[in-house]
This record gives sequence, C-alpha cells and structure tokens, in this order.
Amino acid sequence: MSTIFPKWTNGLPTMIAGGTVGTLALVVGVVWYTFTPAYWAVGYMPKQPGGGFNHQIHAGKLGMDCRYCHTHVESSSEANIPSVKTCFGCHAEGKLQVYNDSDAHKGKTAFIREAYAEDQPIEWRRVHKVADYVRNFPHHAHVAAGVSCLSCHGNIARMPEVWQEESLSMGWCLDCHRNPEKNLVPKDQVTRLFDVEDLFKAENEAKRIDNGKKFYEERRLAAPENCGACHY
Amino acid sequence: MSSLNPDQATAARLAGLAQAPDAPRAWDPATGDGSLVEDPAVRAPLVLGNRSFNWVTETVCGYAEKGPGKWFWPTFFLTSQIAALMPLMILYLAITGVGVWGLNNQVDWAWDITNFVFWIGIGHAGTLISAILCLLKQKWRTSINRAAEAMTIFAVICAATFPGIHVGRIWMAWMLFPIPNANAIWPNFKSPLLWDVFAVSTYGTVSALFWFMGMVPDFATLRDRAAKRIMTGRQIGGTLPLIGKTADEVRAFAYGLASLGWRFSSRHWLNYEKAYLMLAGISTPLVLSVHSIVSFDFATSILPGWHTTIFPPYFVAGAIFGGFAMVLMLLIPSRELFPGMKDLITMRHLENMAKIILVTGYMVGFAYAMEFFVAWYSGNAYERDVFLFNRVLPPFLAVEGLDGQLKYAPYWWAYWAMIFCNVVSPQVFWFKACRQSIPVIFTVAFLVTIGMWFERFVIIVTSLHRAFLPGEWHMFYPSLVDILTFVGSCGTFLTLYLLFCRFLPQFAMSEIKNVMPQASPHYRPPASTGGAGPSGVHHAPNKEGV
Repeated sequence: MSTIFPKWTNGLPTMIAGGTVGTLALVVGVVWYTFTPAYWAVGYMPKQPGGGFNHQIHAGKLGMDCRYCHTHVESSSEANIPSVKTCFGCHAEGKLQVYNDSDAHKGKTAFIREAYAEDQPIEWRRVHKVADYVRNFPHHAHVAAGVSCLSCHGNIARMPEVWQEESLSMGWCLDCHRNPEKNLVPKDQVTRLFDVEDLFKAENEAKRIDNGKKFYEERRLAAPENCGACHY
Repeated sequence: MSSLNPDQATAARLAGLAQAPDAPRAWDPATGDGSLVEDPAVRAPLVLGNRSFNWVTETVCGYAEKGPGKWFWPTFFLTSQIAALMPLMILYLAITGVGVWGLNNQVDWAWDITNFVFWIGIGHAGTLISAILCLLKQKWRTSINRAAEAMTIFAVICAATFPGIHVGRIWMAWMLFPIPNANAIWPNFKSPLLWDVFAVSTYGTVSALFWFMGMVPDFATLRDRAAKRIMTGRQIGGTLPLIGKTADEVRAFAYGLASLGWRFSSRHWLNYEKAYLMLAGISTPLVLSVHSIVSFDFATSILPGWHTTIFPPYFVAGAIFGGFAMVLMLLIPSRELFPGMKDLITMRHLENMAKIILVTGYMVGFAYAMEFFVAWYSGNAYERDVFLFNRVLPPFLAVEGLDGQLKYAPYWWAYWAMIFCNVVSPQVFWFKACRQSIPVIFTVAFLVTIGMWFERFVIIVTSLHRAFLPGEWHMFYPSLVDILTFVGSCGTFLTLYLLFCRFLPQFAMSEIKNVMPQASPHYRPPASTGGAGPSGVHHAPNKEGV
C-alpha cells in the first residue's frame, strides 16, 4: 500500500517511540529541576532601601552578634528586623569616626538619619518567606535547640546583601526534622557563624553528625513531624 | 482474497443453492431466530443466515464506512449536547468549589463516589468477556467482545473523572499519584484510596491495550479497502471540507496509522494470538482485583455498613452484574438499528447474558442477605442499626425507640428500589419466554442498571448520613449540579460509544470468521438438496462444524 504511506514512514514508529520517551524525559527533567523552591526561591535577593544593610561589614568584619539587632530571636517566633533607632544608635551624626574620614560613607547611610528625623520606619524587604498556611517559623525554639543560624540562612556574615540560601520547602524542613543531628551545634556557637562554618563543610559532616547526636540526647530534643507542628 | 480462496458459501449462493443475503427469515418456534438450539448434541450457530466471510467483512466494515443510517447524527447531536453538561458542571465546580454539590459535614461522599463506583463497575463486563470468556474458550464472546471492551474504556473514562473532581482543589489532583515533590508529601501508601488509583489506572491501561490490539487486523482491513477504493476510483464519501482530502484518503491514512503496518502475514497472526492470550491472562486477575480494591475504600474503614469482609466478592459480582446489564442496553438497540447485526448477535447471545445476569443477581442478593445476617449474628448494635434504621425500615413499619419517637430509615425507598431492581427483577429470567424476549431483557437490564446505581448510593450515603452521635445526623439531598454532572457523564459515555459505532470496527472480524462453519477444516459445502437453509445449520446439524 505504498500509496498511503511513503517509504520514509517506516522509520516513524521508532522516531515516535524515541520522541515520546525523549519528550517524557525532558518534561520530567524540567519539572523536576524547575518546579521546586530550590530553583525559584534560592538566591532571592531583593533590592533593599539605601543599598541594603551590609551584613558582611557588620556581622563579618565588625563581628557584631546577630542578636544585637535581631533582639527577639531567642524569645519570639519572629526574628525581628530592628527599628531605625537601633541603626541610629551607631549611625547618628558624628558618632562614628569613619564619618569624619569619608564623605562617601556618610552619604551611604544618610537615609538612616533621614528616616530617624522623619520618624518613619525604613521599608526593608523581607527575604525569607514561608507559605501563608505555615505558622511563623519559631526562631526561639530552634535557637534554644541549638540549630545554628547558618543552617537555614547560610553564612550571612559573608553576604554584602542578604539572599535566600536554602529552599525553605517543606521537604527541606522535613529533611532536618527527620535527621536533626545534622544541624545541631554547641549552644554558645549558634550565632557565631565563623566558628561553625568549618563544621558545616562536607568533609566535617561525620564529626558534625556525631556531635549532633550527642546534643540531641543531651538536650532531650524531639523534632516534631506531625502536620500540626507547622500548619494551622 | 475471494479470487484466490473461493468462499464456499458465496459460491453456493451464486449457484442459487444458498439463500439470498437479506431474505426475511421466519421466527422458528423451536429455535427462535435459529440460535436457540436445545439439542445438546448440536452447537448453536453463532452467525445466522448462512453468511459468507465476505458478508461479515462487508457488513462490519460497512458500519464504519457508510455509517449506520439516518438516525445516527441526530442521536449523536443529542448525546453530545448532554455530554457537554459534564465539562460545564466540572468547570462550575472547579471555579466555585465542592460546595456546589449537596455534600455536608456528615455526608462528604455522595454522588461523586457513587458515580465513580457505578461507572467502574460497568466496565467489568468488558474485561470479563474479553479475558475470562476468552480463556474459557466461550466462542459466543466473539461477536460481543469488541463492543463490551469499548464500553469498558468509556466507562473507565467516566469513572476516573469523579475521583479527580471530588478532591475540591482540582489543580491538586496530581497528588493522587505518588509524585516526588518539594513538599516531601506522599499519598498514604497504607490507604486503599491510593491502591484505587493504581488499580483503576492499571485497569484502564490494560483494557485500552487489549481493545486496541484486537482492532489492529480490522484497522488493516479498513485501510486496505479504502486504499483499494482510491485506486479503483469508487470512493465512498466526497471530499471533506477544510482538509481537502477525500473521505477514503483520510480513512486510508487514519486506519493505516492505527493498523501499525499490519500485513496479515502468518507471523503477524502468530504474534497476535500470543499477545492476545497474554493480555487475556493479565486482564483476568484485573476483573477480580479492581472492584475488590474499590470495595476496600469502604471495607477498610471502621464505619458500620462499610466495615464488612464480604465487600470484595460482593462488589465484583455486582460489577459483572451491572456490566452485563449495560452491554445488553447497548447491544439490543444496536441490533435493531444496524442492518444485519441480528445475524451476528443472536438471541443466544442475549439469552446467555440474561443467564449471567440471573446468576450474578443471585450473588448480589446473597451478599445483601449476608450483610443482614452478619449485622444480626455479630451482635454489633451499630451495624444492626445501620441496616434496620438507616436502610430498611419504611415509615409504615416504624419502630418506637427508647425516647418514644418512631424510628424508621429515611432512605428506605432507595434500599427497596435497589432490592426490587437487583434481586426481584432478574427473577423473570427463570422463565425461558422472558429470557428470550427482547423487551423483557431490555427492561430488566435497564432496571438492573438503575438498581446498581442505587446499590452504591445506599452503601455510601446511608452509612455516612448518621454517625454515632444523633447530633451528627444529616440527610443528603443532591444539588442540581450533582444531578447534571451524572447526566453529563451518561451523555459522555453514550457519545463515545456512538463515535465507536461510527468509526471503529464494532466486531472482531477475524474472530467471528473463526467461529463460522466455513472455518472448520471439515466443512463441506451444503449439499444441493434445494429448499430453505441448505447449509442445514438448524435442520441438518453438521456435528463437525463449530
């Protein structure tokens, strides 16, 4: 019946079969790779007012503790963003020696003093978000358990502008809640990011897990896995 | 083909020895249309009218090529309008939410799951006919298996819609399947609801494969006929609008595509037979497993009325019961509407199916009785109350409760409708006259279909609508959307079936030819004794014939 199909169609079944498998694999691969927060949320770095708060300088170079600004992290779910007053405490006119040395630096921080003068908050953009059907991430519980800031936020002290380091997906939450020993550190090092940075390198994983298991026992922790722990 | 292998029956007819193709045949009081042979030494003919191989090909292909008649497109228009209700209602549901159904806090499954079980049950006749009857070498299945398989596929399509749309947030329906996701959420592998997803999707896949594979040789016949007509210039149908090709060119292409390069070689047939047997083997456990797993949705719960070990066999018997009723409801009108089909689907086919309905109806009736027995015998007060006061007792037999109020079952009418349709009505098939009367068979099949819908409604709604505390008692009333979605699913089913009748081979031609007398190596052409029916199928039985 050569009138119906030309000869080249003999190869069609193979081509269709191959094409189907290939298309399926492509679709699965694309969905697998891109349909996750790991693809579209990690690296989120919104433009902050005034060029942003430089964590690299403050927490890194100057060695300020996280809790100097995020004051409620040990007592509240929310790791609060400080008010202008906290900024102004250092950045008031004439307070820092560096202002006398360089006008450029002074100009960069002018927006703090302006906001303070106008009695208006600075509109920082939120970087780390969870879905609205999830309770606020309880920072106090995790800090008390000895989970380092670095586990969720990465080494903020190395970020000139804060970006989202982890996916914050439910699978990512569960990964830690099922194996919490991976992220437990000595309690006095929770906010000391440079001290624990080494521990979180791949080659030290065994050591970190050994320590973590000890901490998990000592601190009598029980990372919950039930729905109600995180959802309303 | 006929020039190489002279068809004996055709030769006999051309010689004036056999009767003309469509000569009216009288109803024989002894054998009905000729197929109701009582003599156990004689095999009843499966194709009547002394038909030739050529006639089978011409008739079956003719349905797909020339169309069934003037009634078709108006009927199709009507059913497709009804079918359109379904996507409309689903769209409304998706936009608005499941609140558009009559569900309430207590009755959170109602028509959605009733329809799901109803449709998936109907599909079972197709698999039973194509798989189990094939393995048991029941030759009468050959002329009804294709239609029953088609019906299975369409019923599974209708069925699979309902679990998909009852989830509330339809865009999350993919979570029915265990798909890896960033939320690390999996369906509960210990839940029969997940097993159900696997059971139904396996069933749909295997049934579709079985159906399609059986059609491949017939597609090739349709392809070759269209190609031959193109070459000889005697095409059926003119040029199609928009495409600019003639109908036969489209047919040759489409059937050619579907026939997968089938060339009727012996090797093809050998592989085909093997594959057919393997698929029959794979499908056989599915006949039993699918509805067993559907029944687990209920049986593994702890709800009185659902928590019953009899459910799996009871559901399977019910599915075959309802499935055969639907096959009859489709084939009886087909027989009347398609010329020549009465010779392919004989009275014996209908009678056999009526007998299956009688048997499976008894199984279902036995299950109904056992549920009662167990409710009493177990001494479980909740179980007993579900049956007595949720399902059975009509208002005129109401019993005074401890609080002095009259207790009766609010859904008694549904329960008794089910009993009448499923248990009482098939009893007429004890009588030969009823078993062989087309109006009676059709009426019973219709009643059984209604009864089987009510069975699922009774199981689901009457068990749910009263929980353990009287404060949780709520009646279920269907909303218009409930009703129209179901009506729409019936329309979808009929529309798909009509499309099947119009464009696909309704009969497995090679299989029918296999069970005709001419296929036997011992077949002798009818002796030229003259008179009516020289092939002598009913008067001078050829014992060596099939």
